[in-house]
Amino acid sequence: MDAIAQVVLAGLIMGGVYALIALGLNLIYGTMRLLNVAHGELIMFGAFAAYWMYTINQLSPLFSLLLVAVGSALFGIFIFFCLFNPLLKRSQSQDMMAANSLLIFFALSIIMQNIAVFFWGANLRSYTYMSKVIHLAGVPVTANRLLSFAIGVVLCLGCYLLIQKTLVGKAIRAVIQDRECCKLMGINVNKIYIISFAISFAMAGVAGVLLSMYYVFSPFMGLPYTVIAFIVVILGGMGNVGGSLLAGFILGLVSSVGTALTSPGLESVISYLIFILVVLFKPKGIFGKGF
Amino acid sequence: MPKKNWVCLLLLLGMALMVFSLAGCGGKDTTAPAAKDKEEIKIGFSISLTGIYAPAAESQMRAYDLWLEQVNKRGGIHLKEYGKSLPVKFVYYDDQSSTDMATRIYEKLVTEDKVDMLLPPWGTTLHFAIAPLAEKFQMPVVGNTACSVKIRELDAKNFWFITSCIPDRQTEALVDLMKAHRNQLKTVAITYVQDLFPRENLQFLEPLLKAAGFEVVLVKDYPIGVSDLSSLMAEIKRLNPDAYLALSYPEDSFLITNQAMEAGLNPKFFLLLVGPSIAAYDAVYGPATEGILTQGHWSPKGGWPGAQDFYNGFVEKYGERPDYLDSALAYVSCEILEQALTKAGSLDREAVRNVIATSEFETINGPIGFTGVENLRMPAMWLQWQQGELEIVWPAETATAKLLIPKPKW
Repeated sequence: MDAIAQVVLAGLIMGGVYALIALGLNLIYGTMRLLNVAHGELIMFGAFAAYWMYTINQLSPLFSLLLVAVGSALFGIFIFFCLFNPLLKRSQSQDMMAANSLLIFFALSIIMQNIAVFFWGANLRSYTYMSKVIHLAGVPVTANRLLSFAIGVVLCLGCYLLIQKTLVGKAIRAVIQDRECCKLMGINVNKIYIISFAISFAMAGVAGVLLSMYYVFSPFMGLPYTVIAFIVVILGGMGNVGGSLLAGFILGLVSSVGTALTSPGLESVISYLIFILVVLFKPKGIFGKGF
Repeated sequence: MPKKNWVCLLLLLGMALMVFSLAGCGGKDTTAPAAKDKEEIKIGFSISLTGIYAPAAESQMRAYDLWLEQVNKRGGIHLKEYGKSLPVKFVYYDDQSSTDMATRIYEKLVTEDKVDMLLPPWGTTLHFAIAPLAEKFQMPVVGNTACSVKIRELDAKNFWFITSCIPDRQTEALVDLMKAHRNQLKTVAITYVQDLFPRENLQFLEPLLKAAGFEVVLVKDYPIGVSDLSSLMAEIKRLNPDAYLALSYPEDSFLITNQAMEAGLNPKFFLLLVGPSIAAYDAVYGPATEGILTQGHWSPKGGWPGAQDFYNGFVEKYGERPDYLDSALAYVSCEILEQALTKAGSLDREAVRNVIATSEFETINGPIGFTGVENLRMPAMWLQWQQGELEIVWPAETATAKLLIPKPKW
């Protein structure tokens, strides 16, 4: 019984983080049809920010979380105005925009990685924060992982409610469905883009802070998370923000249960297998377009 | 032609130029006779500043830089051929952790940059990638951060390996260490990360353990970059082995430490193959490191001349202690190169090669000399964290402390 609880808890905790990073990625994809391949690097910057604030200023990651969220959001807005606004204005077609933006994001990821290596060095970093072990239904779990799970879930739900229940959210959903039509209906599409960038970047930064509490990281930590986020987005349906949330938890649980039944060596086999099956049989994601 | 096409063309041209300059257009070995008015000794290498090896390669690069600073402070390396001491200059490029890049860089270093000597890149894979080039150019290279039983299959006359962390030798030493405490150790659990080096260790370790009468209760693997091992830790806890040997790499060493603590896994003998010797490890865990074993064969307390000075110099320059494995190894290979150049009194590759192949060198890791490609003079050793210091606990003749067993609970 304990063993099952152990596996489920591990899966849920992983799923929480997966959902958080995938949600951000999907928001930009949904509204703008742009795939942010630098998403993992934003997570990395968040982790480094938390690390520096904790080791130099003894600032609790719970507090730096807020600073990182605001900082990342501002960075997102800055990037939007500097790089994507001009691109949006100049691009003659959606295809051209998508291709060019992929290059920009790719460049961004390389630049961010190299900035981190250049200024902070490539070595592994980690710190201990709230590593006290708590017993939950007989399963031992460190407080930091539990905390990260709780924050992740609250943020995901918050974001989901924002999109489902508020006027801005309604506008975001409308833009996801049909941008051209939104322009005709008097929705300020550019404003929605900016909001999506800000939320997406902020969520990635926050995910970085949460991960830094219990994982060792380096400037190269980003790519695996970008890949995971991408898998989750495909599972949940591209542009389906709620789908990402559920898909994150599903992937976390399935890979946790799957590796426990077989071997941890098969972790990536299991995630990619799900990915391939979904692409083959439900190409629009488990939950389709949604909304 | 429209403006846009011109831009594309220019970009392409630029890229082509970069590729060519890196690939080294001339494949000819131009061993130009050294001009007698030589002003400096150029030493070239590639290093993983980016890519998957970058986190590990930093401890090597720092040791290189420390040596460079020290050797130039001493006035450089004295070469009889020129009748004076020449300062050393590094020429290096980022190999992006790619074997392809590394081989191209070494080709360029020799043919275009015309470096006088070479130092190796980081890691076994890249060492193996450039070993054939060392042969091709007849350029002696003293390897450092590489260990595999396959080194003996290399038919190399210009390549050597310093470390005694070769899987068959070090697993034998490990089983000897465990046999010496047989009264406390009966059952063993092993996990390993899916990569060449840990696999090689497993390949020798498992039969040795069984032959020595230990009961192996679990052998499980996991991939590089694994994000959660909590179920595995819980499983090992249920099996309650006396010894847990994790054939791990740095990142998963952190993960295993975290999740073993979380699970309350407390074996009497706890080993993490690669990781606990890097500075970040004890910076994070502090007193919780007590009793953890890891691979390595160097300690500032080892009693070798210069060992403590190296440690102090490193701490002073970087504000962080050296990696007891990679930093020490990288520094040792610089020391060997320096001594070989002085002894040869020349930059002639053949002369330097002969000196390295036949001489004995005094290093911060004790006397080193090569038998074939291997340094057999150094015994395989194991390190253990005790009271905030990494002590050599095996074998008895080089030990700086006795094995702490059982490992205290977290």
